[in-house]
Amino acid sequence: MPMKGRFPIRRTLEYLQKGEVVFKKSVNIMTVNYNTHGDLSEGARKFVFFNIPQIQYKNPWVQIMMFKNMTPSPFLRFYLGKSFVLLFFNLFSILWYLLVLLLCLDDGEQVLVDVEGKDHKEIMNHVKTILGKSDKVLEAEALAKMELSNPANFGPKRYFLRECISEVEGQVPHPGFVPLPKEMTGKYRAKLAAASDE
Amino acid sequence: MLFPFPRGYRDCELHSWQILTSCDNKLGLQNINGMSTRQASVHAKWIIGQVIGTKMKKTAKVRVTRLVLDPYLLKYYNKRKTYFAHDPLEQCTIGDVVLLKALPEKRSKHVNHELAEIVYKVGQVVDPLTGKRVAGTQYLEPLTESTEDTEVSLKEKLEQLNITASTTPPSAS
Repeated sequence: MPMKGRFPIRRTLEYLQKGEVVFKKSVNIMTVNYNTHGDLSEGARKFVFFNIPQIQYKNPWVQIMMFKNMTPSPFLRFYLGKSFVLLFFNLFSILWYLLVLLLCLDDGEQVLVDVEGKDHKEIMNHVKTILGKSDKVLEAEALAKMELSNPANFGPKRYFLRECISEVEGQVPHPGFVPLPKEMTGKYRAKLAAASDE
Repeated sequence: MLFPFPRGYRDCELHSWQILTSCDNKLGLQNINGMSTRQASVHAKWIIGQVIGTKMKKTAKVRVTRLVLDPYLLKYYNKRKTYFAHDPLEQCTIGDVVLLKALPEKRSKHVNHELAEIVYKVGQVVDPLTGKRVAGTQYLEPLTESTEDTEVSLKEKLEQLNITASTTPPSAS
């Protein structure tokens, strides 16, 4: 039973997760202006059809807007703005306050990318180099995320893999599920100890 | 036929975008030694939308669309939300595409943003690549400044070109 639609592979989680572009924190809005007819907009149309879902999946907090047939030539526009940095305040509160104010200034810069005549793969690569996080940064982030979830730690199911060592195969299970062999029970051992003392 | 209207089974799940709408009026208060610094009370700092109403004084009603993933179809659809933006000079008309910036403090109960710039003015769209006025896929202004003298007539231009009929006809292959 095949999936419905023209290229239904676009609607699979695997395809969405394979998106390469993860924007830097400063990117807030992405705007794509393209035309529905014309050979020069072909790359832009393919970019919108194939790559926009991937980009939005990887960047859920970036607003992406599409505009059709507004200008003769297609282009991409990115609106940047610095993000707030939360600081911990201490005794030197006035200085910190000023620092926070300085950091909170967003300039509202814009980046314009001309995509006339370009292929959708070229556009994707270009966007990745100018505004995407590099592979190294992504790897470092993935590593940091892995370090947070250490399988050696035990605790509530919500935060950790396992709650108790008894859940691991090959370890002694909880007596609530499987009764312990007689030799391991406390009262048998106490009885043995008492018998050996006498 | 694939209908473009997602069904109601997404009501129970919270998308990142729905979290954004529900935590819209998050107040960031920090008390330091008696001083309280209030950060912007809205999650969305910069947004782009289309103006849908200008009947309020110095306020524009802006519709913002964001792409939201339907959890069953795994396809992105536009989800609308209206914001009110402070427009002190009343320069917006209905249909303008507008960039809004979050205000540091709430201006009124509903107005949290102000007009940063009009990106595309309706009827007077300017192509950012060339800087010329544009209507759909046509340029309204000529792209190159014509250096030719428009007074020179066509006849004089033809005389400048030396076209003579050749005496020998071209050889047929």
